Amino acid sequence: MMDALGFEFFRNALLAGLLASVICGVIGSLVVVNRIVFLAGGVAHASYGGVGLAFFLGLPVLPVTTGFSTCAALCMAWVTLDSRERSDTVIGVLWAAGMALGIILLDLTPGYNSDLMSYLFGSILAVPQSDLALMAGLSAVVLVLAALFSRGLLVMSFDAEFARSRGVPVRFLHFLLMGLVAVCVVLVIRVVGLILVMALLTIPPFMAERRASSLAGMMLLSAGLSTLFCVVGLYLSYALDLTSGASIIAVACVGFVLSLLLPSGRGRGAA
Amino acid sequence: MQHPAIKIENLWFAYGGARVLDQVNLTLPAGEFLAVLGPNGGGKSTLLRLLLGLVRPGGGLLKVLGQDPGQSGGRIGYLPQFTSVSASFPITVLGAVALGLVQPGFSGLTGWLNPAARRAEREAALLALSRVGLADQAGRRLSDLSGGQRQRVFIARAIVSGPELLLLDEPTASVDGKSRHELMALLAELNRDMTIVMVSHDMSTVDGCVTSIACVNKSLHHHAESRLTPAIFAQAAGVDLRATCPVELVAHGAVPHRVLLDHDHPDCCGGVHRHEKKDGGDAP
Repeated sequence: MMDALGFEFFRNALLAGLLASVICGVIGSLVVVNRIVFLAGGVAHASYGGVGLAFFLGLPVLPVTTGFSTCAALCMAWVTLDSRERSDTVIGVLWAAGMALGIILLDLTPGYNSDLMSYLFGSILAVPQSDLALMAGLSAVVLVLAALFSRGLLVMSFDAEFARSRGVPVRFLHFLLMGLVAVCVVLVIRVVGLILVMALLTIPPFMAERRASSLAGMMLLSAGLSTLFCVVGLYLSYALDLTSGASIIAVACVGFVLSLLLPSGRGRGAA
Repeated sequence: MQHPAIKIENLWFAYGGARVLDQVNLTLPAGEFLAVLGPNGGGKSTLLRLLLGLVRPGGGLLKVLGQDPGQSGGRIGYLPQFTSVSASFPITVLGAVALGLVQPGFSGLTGWLNPAARRAEREAALLALSRVGLADQAGRRLSDLSGGQRQRVFIARAIVSGPELLLLDEPTASVDGKSRHELMALLAELNRDMTIVMVSHDMSTVDGCVTSIACVNKSLHHHAESRLTPAIFAQAAGVDLRATCPVELVAHGAVPHRVLLDHDHPDCCGGVHRHEKKDGGDAP
């Protein structure tokens, strides 16, 4: 491990993993308790359209993808505003349309794009310093917004119907949450790729949910678990020469199975 | 002058085309315990959502505590249907009750910024919990409680803001018989301090503590006179119960079930089967 830390690309990869873990711990917890995993998946895949758009226009990928997936997320938020049951078809359409758009735009872009796969499966070992700075900035924005509106997000997540009856602006919170999901997805795409983003958004929060006694505790615990998965996964990827994104997810999945086998740790101490 | 808790005049509501509620009239004085009964799809829950301001009426007058619906905030306590909360949500009992104190509008979103207010919230939540007999469970995870206990936690959340009106949507669904009995005793006690409106399709929940009954099936008939009296008891044996409100459980039983007097309001409950034509306007 120590010799690996001597390489700048490995240090950058660890930092990117840490940032993604913190952000996934917070946003993934909200995604899981609000039962919008499918919506988050839609945003993650539609954001591929943003990647294609960035290549087509010759602009930096991260900012363009962030803007594109935020727009896609707000569209989905609007569709799901009042009836969450009827909207899953529309989410499916947006999901597929975003991916198709991305691929067509890449087809229309001259030259061979070897970087394409890195957005599908992640390229954490190739995160440049400039992307790292942008990731840190976006993470800070997401965390500040989530902290500022934490009370409202908690009230809505716990019981949206009750929140609505008390005059809490649930519609605003729904848009806010979907916007946060979009930014989070873009950040994590760099680390594990959009194919595998769902695992990092759902596995750690699922494991944490049964063991935490508050939403904040669930966020902290899942950020910690996520960090653990990233560090172990990265090291295995380095030591065994495996694809980094897949290694991280493989470690997370092992953790997931272990957590199912262990007692759920109610009343502390048992876990 | 004190307002009636609820005042409804010629109210109607439609989802898209067909009217779900029509010609609804109701004046509910403060202090009552009203049970809203009727078949599924008859408009009971829609009526509750109208009272909460979650949906807007198509037309007619609707005042809750003298205000427009949705304007009363914490003056109305609300218990949504049991299924609206995920069973595994990570929250303590005390935390869940404290959420009942959330402020309306954008000021409610950032409430944690004021530590003194949070402390006051915890004390109020503890008080509400002791009122429903769960003060000793305050620190436990909500998901570790039984169904009946959890329902009492949600009642604590509904009353933590000190409401004048308590709206309950199927409070006794999915709790066992013993818990149901305890729940109704608790509601009877709360009724000393606040008006209660309880939506239910389960007739066995309507016991002595209910002071009046409204049958909702598109229109509403308010049995304001339907206090349990010996006269009604006496009548029960001789009356063809199916001709009154379609209270199937009651129809199968004998005294001491409550029996509502027959009435000729065409749209009320069982009456709707007799003739479809509506001749509204005869306020109960």
